[in-house]
Amino acid sequence: MFAETIPALLRRNACDRGAQDAVVDHNRRISHAGLAQESAKLASWLVERGVNRNHRVGLLMENGVDWVVAACAIMRLGAALVPLSTLLRPNELAEQLAIAGVRHLIATPGLRGRDFRAEIDALDRTELPSLRNIWWREELAEGGATAASMAQAMEARVVPADDLCVIFTSGSSGAPKGIIHTQGAAIRAAAAGLEDRCIRSGTRLYLPMPLFWIGGFGSGLISAMVAGATLLTEAEPEPGQTLAFLEREHVTLFRGWPDQAARIAAHTSFPQTNLSGLTPGSLDAMLQPSLRAKPGARANVFGMTETFGPYAGYPLDRDLPDGKLGSCGRAFSGIHLRIVDLQSARQLAPGETGRIQIGGRNILRAICGREREQTFTPDGWYDSGDLGSLDEDGFLYFAGRADDMIKISGASVYPSEVERALETIPGVSRAFATAVEIAGAVQIGAAVVTELDASEVARLAKERLSAFKLPKRWAVVAALDALPHRSSGKIDRQALRTLLTSTDKNG
Amino acid sequence: MEPGTIGGLLNKQAKLGEKCFLVVDAARLTYGEADAKSARIASAMLAAGIGRGSRVAILFGNGPQYALAWFAAVRIGAIAMPMSTMSTAHELRGLLLNSDAEYLVAARDYRGRDLRQLAGKAIGAAPSGALNLPQLPVLRQIWFGISELEHAGTENDPLVAAAEAQVSSADIMAIVHTSGSTSAPKGVIHTHGQVICNMQRQNISRRLTGDDALFSNSPFFWIGGLAYSFLASFIAGAKLVCSAADPRGMLDLLEAERPTMCNGVASTVLALASEPTFAQRDLSSMRRGNLYPIMPADTRPADPELRYNLLGMTEAGSVCLAGPHERDIAETKRGSFGMPVEGIEARVVDPDSGEDAPSGELWLRGANLMQGYLGHERHECFDGLGWYHTGDMMSVDQDGDFFFKGRAGDIIRTSGAQVSPREVEAAISDLTGGRMSIVIGLPDPDCGQLVAAVMIGEEPFDAEQLEAGLRERLSPYKVPRRFVALSQCELPTMSSGKVDLRKLADLARVR
Repeated sequence: MFAETIPALLRRNACDRGAQDAVVDHNRRISHAGLAQESAKLASWLVERGVNRNHRVGLLMENGVDWVVAACAIMRLGAALVPLSTLLRPNELAEQLAIAGVRHLIATPGLRGRDFRAEIDALDRTELPSLRNIWWREELAEGGATAASMAQAMEARVVPADDLCVIFTSGSSGAPKGIIHTQGAAIRAAAAGLEDRCIRSGTRLYLPMPLFWIGGFGSGLISAMVAGATLLTEAEPEPGQTLAFLEREHVTLFRGWPDQAARIAAHTSFPQTNLSGLTPGSLDAMLQPSLRAKPGARANVFGMTETFGPYAGYPLDRDLPDGKLGSCGRAFSGIHLRIVDLQSARQLAPGETGRIQIGGRNILRAICGREREQTFTPDGWYDSGDLGSLDEDGFLYFAGRADDMIKISGASVYPSEVERALETIPGVSRAFATAVEIAGAVQIGAAVVTELDASEVARLAKERLSAFKLPKRWAVVAALDALPHRSSGKIDRQALRTLLTSTDKNG
Repeated sequence: MEPGTIGGLLNKQAKLGEKCFLVVDAARLTYGEADAKSARIASAMLAAGIGRGSRVAILFGNGPQYALAWFAAVRIGAIAMPMSTMSTAHELRGLLLNSDAEYLVAARDYRGRDLRQLAGKAIGAAPSGALNLPQLPVLRQIWFGISELEHAGTENDPLVAAAEAQVSSADIMAIVHTSGSTSAPKGVIHTHGQVICNMQRQNISRRLTGDDALFSNSPFFWIGGLAYSFLASFIAGAKLVCSAADPRGMLDLLEAERPTMCNGVASTVLALASEPTFAQRDLSSMRRGNLYPIMPADTRPADPELRYNLLGMTEAGSVCLAGPHERDIAETKRGSFGMPVEGIEARVVDPDSGEDAPSGELWLRGANLMQGYLGHERHECFDGLGWYHTGDMMSVDQDGDFFFKGRAGDIIRTSGAQVSPREVEAAISDLTGGRMSIVIGLPDPDCGQLVAAVMIGEEPFDAEQLEAGLRERLSPYKVPRRFVALSQCELPTMSSGKVDLRKLADLARVR
């Protein structure tokens, strides 16, 4: 059994690999022993100022060692960390502070031209009755001896059932979703995926993802802490600087979105950068050609904020078994999957596509402001809102967001299957499909990243897709950056639809 | 504001103004006062640092002070954690520690006990000022009585309204402690929406309305008193009548307040029926309920076993099995507990196979069920399909009526209270330098089960001294009323080697 609380993890890492780097950013590095020590000092300071077990403590700061020290200080006390996005506008920040009931806020006074101090000072505090304290990062220090002994006593009471965090999903349709995870579920979820994600003790892991979303926090920080690995992180990834940083820090594993890797690999300094330490399991664009997988041969490791990151996968340094291409791999331990038809509430047989529902010990405890009946099925499963199927061996195939399913003349089309088909066209690096309304009828539109011309793409698509699944509107671009993105880095499908309906490039 | 929150409810019921909500002997509280005074206390609580999610322990007997402290905390989103007034210092310390109480609001005294002294002993320090105790690292402040808070608060504090507006029906409302199969009591977590919705529905089925006055002495620190009496009455707009007086005083109160309904544990009102003036008393107002010994003859069952019983449990937010109990039922239904209330799904399951069975363990799930036990993850409280395994053995007939068969565990139910044998055994072990004992419930006509301790071994023991020691440490209802000595070789065992508790009970009864 491994440590299932943050204080236990910090102690274990300090003891087993104290001198090894825990976190490194451009300007600063901290060892596991240093992280345990620094976070304990800050914890005593927080206790002196009124932070207590079960309090919600917001953290608004850019990626880096400081973020991690503050987060660990909060979590080791048994308070719940509320990571806040530095991309939020003031009204959005106020909304998330209210939803999560944040009581204390630790913030950086400014970042990339944003004056957070002025923005936060201007918040209407009568609308935020829970928020009692705001501390700026330069104030953070060490508490006195009494506070230190109180902090230690609080830490000794931390159990796996304590809330670890309230973490918001990056999706922005509807009210923000604050997902609550316990220490036990989060740590187990991170641990369950380590092997498939090739994160081991000694791994030097880089992810170009913000720590305030699950990708950076769960798949990055908590995974690295559980594995006893080193997290390489940057406040502001910029391809040239990232490459220099990765070379300097001897990165061994590069994870993230394929687009992100492609963007960095396209940089002029890439060929001269020595990344020879990178091991298989890293994203292909970053690897030496000899280490790369066949396109589509690796699992699409799959997860969501509600499952504290990936919940299904297959070893990323290995090709999927024969007949399993296109799958997301199998459910990690601590996760149970079932496919359900919502109308009939019937559990579907292998091969049938329906809603992916998730059970098991390693899932969310709750969503802020939603009652259990609004969050879980009557038998305690979480409906992911995703569509997919399971085969006889338990391999999961993702078919798209349920909201994204497109009905065309009574037939179901999933954007993801259109995208997968288009991405098999040689020369097409990425494809995005979505529903568009043309003259009152729903049709498929697609945006494709390729050097090919539009008519050639349309011709090759016809060979791969049945007629009703063929996109009727096309946007063909040479570079991914030409397509609309959200602040999270994900493609903005709403803007994409607008683009496709306004374009006159008919296929 | 959300209607499914206590704050929303207080604002709504404030319109009942001068109408009486709570009568406890000489003390009264109107609906208007419940709102205005608790808002004022809430204002002081906010100023003292209490807010949404703060854990506030509440230590009062039934009465307006309990009501005001509880409403004040809960309306601003704090979590109320009522604690038993029978607690010893040792028990109170355990409750405060395990529930992560940040604040305690307690009566100055209760039934002659000095609670300030009790609290001081419990926390091992003077219970005043800002607290910084490594032995209770979460506890910050204690108030005795509510007058200090009431004076410190301001009327119509806009911060109170702002805090109320943030509370969601999904927020935790209360943590109620119950004795279970472990030595320490378990904290059971319930949300605002859950309990309010449950009581709204049960008020319909038990026909508790604003025209009613309910007599119930169930303590507000346990779920029956908190949900089924206190909150149910408040939601209905009814008058709730409680009493801590002697039998004569209690009868005076019933004649004066004229309750229309009654509810609670029948054994606790037996003393009323044997009061010399009982026959001359006019209790004709009581038409419905289950305190049969004091109800008018024309409403009483011929045999209490021929009325549907109620099964309540903390984990199910009070009553979970019930039937209409104003008329006698058929002989074939003798002893039945009726059917699941709305918001509860119930199964009777063979615990070995996990299949439905005519007789087996009662499993529950549904909206009324707890969020879980404090300090335990969901999978430790519910199985993979959301069921809570109650530990109660039941059978179910072809109509779907449930019948109680006993406990799978060995919890003792005595006069409406639950006692964990593990807790009592641990206390005996501590006081006797490790003497082994087995604590069991012996059948008792008045209190259901009587707590007895079977002391294992040849060595003599001083029962009087042991009992005195246990009284220091355990609430009175947990202290064994009978001590029996048994040598190791006399212990009746089953073929599995486990102690045969049924045979042991027979032995203990005759010794």
